Amino acid sequence: MSTALLKRLPVYAVIATIAFGPVLLFTGAAHAGTKTPPFQTTRKNSGTPNSNFSKTNSDGVVIAYGNNAITYVAPPSSLSTLGEQLFLQNCASCHGTEANGVPAHGTSGAYPNLVGLGPATIDFWIESGRMPATDTRAVEAPRRPARLTRHQALAIAAWINSLSPSYPLIPHTNTRDANVSNGAALFALNCAACHTIEGDGDALANGTYAPSLRHIPATQVAEAIRTGPGNMPRFTGNLSDYQVADIVKYVTMDIQHPQNPGGFGLGGLGPVAEGFVGLALGVGILALIGFWVGERSERQ
Amino acid sequence: MSDTINTKRAKKQQLGPYGHVGRALNELDDRLGVAKGGRSFLDKIFPDHWSFMLGEIALYSFVVLLVTGVFLTLYFIPSQAIVTYHGSYLPLDGQKMTEAFASTVNLSFAVRCGLLMRQMHHWACDIFIGAMVVHMARVFFTGAFRKPRELNWTIGVTLLTLAIANGFLGYSLPDDLVSGTGIRIAYSIVLSIPVVGSYLAFLVFGGNFPGTTVIPRFFILHVLIVPGIIIALVTAHMVLLVRQKHTQFPGPGKTEDNVVGSPMFPVFMAKTTGFLFVVAGLTGLLGAFAQVNPIWQFGPYVASRISYAVQPDWYMGFLDGALRIWPSWTFHSFGYTIPLEVFIPAVVFPGLVFGLAYVWPALERKVTKDTASHNLLDRPSSRPRRTAAGAAVFSLLIMLFIASSTDVLANFFRVPLNEVLWAMRILCIITPLITYPVTLKICRELHAVKGGGQRKTPNVVSRTAQGEYVATPAPEYVDDVPDELEATEVPKFITTPTDEPVESGVRVVDR
Amino acid sequence: MSDSKETRTPVSVAGLEHDYEHMEPAARNPQLVERVIAVSLLVGMVLLACFGWAYWINAQPWKLGATMGGGLFFIGVGLIAWGKYLMPKGPFVEERHPFANSDEDRDAFAAAIVERGGGVVKRRKLLGGLLGGGLGVFGVVAIFPLLRSLGPLPKETLQHTDWKAGTFAVDSTGRRVQVGDLGIGSIVTVYPEGLQDTDRGQAVDQTVLIRISNEDFTTQKGRETWGPKGYVAYSKLCTHLGCPVGLYEQQLQLLVCPCHQSMFNVTNGAIPQFGPAPRPLPQLPLYIDSSGYIRAQGDYKVAVGPGFWERK
Repeated sequence: MSTALLKRLPVYAVIATIAFGPVLLFTGAAHAGTKTPPFQTTRKNSGTPNSNFSKTNSDGVVIAYGNNAITYVAPPSSLSTLGEQLFLQNCASCHGTEANGVPAHGTSGAYPNLVGLGPATIDFWIESGRMPATDTRAVEAPRRPARLTRHQALAIAAWINSLSPSYPLIPHTNTRDANVSNGAALFALNCAACHTIEGDGDALANGTYAPSLRHIPATQVAEAIRTGPGNMPRFTGNLSDYQVADIVKYVTMDIQHPQNPGGFGLGGLGPVAEGFVGLALGVGILALIGFWVGERSERQ
Repeated sequence: MSDTINTKRAKKQQLGPYGHVGRALNELDDRLGVAKGGRSFLDKIFPDHWSFMLGEIALYSFVVLLVTGVFLTLYFIPSQAIVTYHGSYLPLDGQKMTEAFASTVNLSFAVRCGLLMRQMHHWACDIFIGAMVVHMARVFFTGAFRKPRELNWTIGVTLLTLAIANGFLGYSLPDDLVSGTGIRIAYSIVLSIPVVGSYLAFLVFGGNFPGTTVIPRFFILHVLIVPGIIIALVTAHMVLLVRQKHTQFPGPGKTEDNVVGSPMFPVFMAKTTGFLFVVAGLTGLLGAFAQVNPIWQFGPYVASRISYAVQPDWYMGFLDGALRIWPSWTFHSFGYTIPLEVFIPAVVFPGLVFGLAYVWPALERKVTKDTASHNLLDRPSSRPRRTAAGAAVFSLLIMLFIASSTDVLANFFRVPLNEVLWAMRILCIITPLITYPVTLKICRELHAVKGGGQRKTPNVVSRTAQGEYVATPAPEYVDDVPDELEATEVPKFITTPTDEPVESGVRVVDR
Repeated sequence: MSDSKETRTPVSVAGLEHDYEHMEPAARNPQLVERVIAVSLLVGMVLLACFGWAYWINAQPWKLGATMGGGLFFIGVGLIAWGKYLMPKGPFVEERHPFANSDEDRDAFAAAIVERGGGVVKRRKLLGGLLGGGLGVFGVVAIFPLLRSLGPLPKETLQHTDWKAGTFAVDSTGRRVQVGDLGIGSIVTVYPEGLQDTDRGQAVDQTVLIRISNEDFTTQKGRETWGPKGYVAYSKLCTHLGCPVGLYEQQLQLLVCPCHQSMFNVTNGAIPQFGPAPRPLPQLPLYIDSSGYIRAQGDYKVAVGPGFWERK
């Protein structure tokens, strides 16, 4: 009887692994469907632009401002008509034909009001592929390959801006004179708490997460800092354009192209990864070599 | 001329059959009397089982630590004075930082072999503590801690504690963002001790956090005081091992009163020296290809900065995991606070674990009422309760290690963080509760089966010309031993104390 | 292989002749094994020489490590193989001798200590007592310099920060924060003016300033004046273990501590709603002066940071 039990032991082990293994995954998947997406009430970007220059059009609307570090440019208003068409095709089903959103009702969350959010916000969400959203039940829209081109994103931003011109405009960062060391210091103080000091991102509360910064173009870095998408805080007047340019330079250079002189980077997960490597590769291989060095025991 | 030749030949003849080396040894014996002891030392027998190599991994990685550590001390400046960095790593150029951090960045980028030595030192530490844990597990599960080796077990547990502490002190020395956060947490843990916590924290750290004496104190502890104690204890560990001789597994010709294996010189020395080179070599390869502790990316420690996805090094991970999953129960009354949410997981719990390790030999003696000396080891399955208890404690510690990476797990599996934490809380409770009875059952089953857990005779399957499959037991492997072993006489020319033929072979031993 | 029984029976290594069975190498083909070991040792030697050359030309760290590590590794493998396959294979045996000495010896030892030592003390009880007392006092006072000289006493240091009535809130560059600086959902780390570069300012006084709304914000009863124009300030020191709580999720209105993931709700006075933190983050009462600068009304009402015995 005991021999038979022993023979069945591997089967029990496999069953136990299958039962225990997906516990985490299962609870996670079960939750995704029932979470309501976070909602936004109407909010406007505050803070006046600090700039060396500003350009207004014939109607007196500011269409560009900035300084040596960042130039903020409004999307051309000529794209507005195309933008309205694209919006009605791609966005109006959730955000409404007037782009002023749908309030929360029942189990679905609100679809935000886009009027007054500024072209930088619209451009960020579309060009990072988060919008048009593919899964409206997800707690946080993930970065995906963009479904609309840059031209189309600018057009939509132009149309929404035409409804109510607001800030910030789309930033163009000049990193030539930016100070990467200052950027590193600012990144450590302001960004590392969510995105980790190596920029790999990590899970946050209630199913939200800070995304990895490894593959983000410079414009989107500046847009994210200034507009604070989703749960990310907005850095408006407390970071000057020069400081934002420093951070952009640091992210696009040393976060996205780390030197790693010591070898493979081990994923930026922290000492946990080092522990795995040290134990599995270090102690493990040495124990195997010890297995070769020593003898095996004979039968009793 | 012939005189000169005669003198040379005569001198050569004076040297004796062992030449110059023999004469040098004779001179040494004149002064120290080492000939007899030396010969018996060279004849010392070491059992060869592969699991006895695990302690050697620890020993040799400690040697690597010492050698690389000496290199590092020549460049590291243990000072918290603020300097401005100007060097080849641009993201830090012009930033203010402590001299400790600046010297470490310089060591990594400007000193030849500096980064390699830093990484080898860090990897050697990870391997050192890992090997100690595995070695301790081997000693525990085979019962090698029993009389007369309880003292060696105590020394070993102390070595593990000191090594973990020294590792923490060491990786905190560069004063970078990640390890500085660890120092802040350590400060708060000391603070949480009831009654004396704030006094102890102020005394040990020299004031309120961060203080200006933390790095210099950590430095002298890390390079002098703790390694000094470790070296003394390792020496004692080895001396006891030599004096008491190593244990061995039961087997043909092996009894409670002998040691079977290979002699110290030349076999064991060759293998162990080779193993030293292998450990050093593998640490070098790890230091070459796997980047560890890239402090330049973390930046200097500034008390208001923090990074996400940071954990302590793996050997402190069980504390971090315990701190994460322990609920926020605090005790506050009569104007005093006992931060139980810190004190219990970070002070009481490791105290219990290491305390249990210390008292285990006495505990087992009391429970099994076995006070005899043991030089033969147990197979783990032949002591089901000990093995199950050890496995349960290990499983709890492993769960806590995993719990120290809850955010990484949540990110990787795309599961909400809150649920990962609850899952770890439940797992940490039920895993040891399941491991104990399962291990107990497995051990008992293994022992009930004849030949369980040991090498079996394989079957050779061959096919006849007609296509029929035939299975026959394989011919005996050259190392296999027949079940029965007759006692044979040891040849006469071997000197034994009584000069009578000694019976060798299997002897029945009372356990 | 000759008789298997004889090859397994262990023999003492003392005084063996060279051609005895146990002194034979373990390898079945010693010539081949010797050649393999020779190759391994040669590869090791060449790699170590390459290390020397790589060092000379200041090669990248991975090349230095690969050559040195590989060289040592192959030499080690060769040496192990030599010991394992080419040296006398044994097995050899050595007798253990019981440690315990004879009863007479043990009694003599115990007698020497107990009777000689005890006898001496019994005759001079006063001296023994005084000596014991002296050593005891030494043991106690020896601890004093070892411990007390290490640092200052805490006294009230842990109970207060440097925020006082009227202190300006400045960011890490020393710039005063103005009411128009932050939009809703913004966060900035602030310090008392003048202390932003000091250890105490960064380690103890660090505070997060968050803008929750455009109107005055009340987090709890009794704190109606603490959140002018929607600015609320909390101590950045986590009440669990003191890590800076820098992770702010503006839509969830949560401050999350990155160390052990305690989550604090910023709208109700940073009460922890998940994780191991036991107490809310202390809130700094603010006001906005006539020039629009954010200033503190006074110090925190409770001690900041993790718990300790004397914390009220």
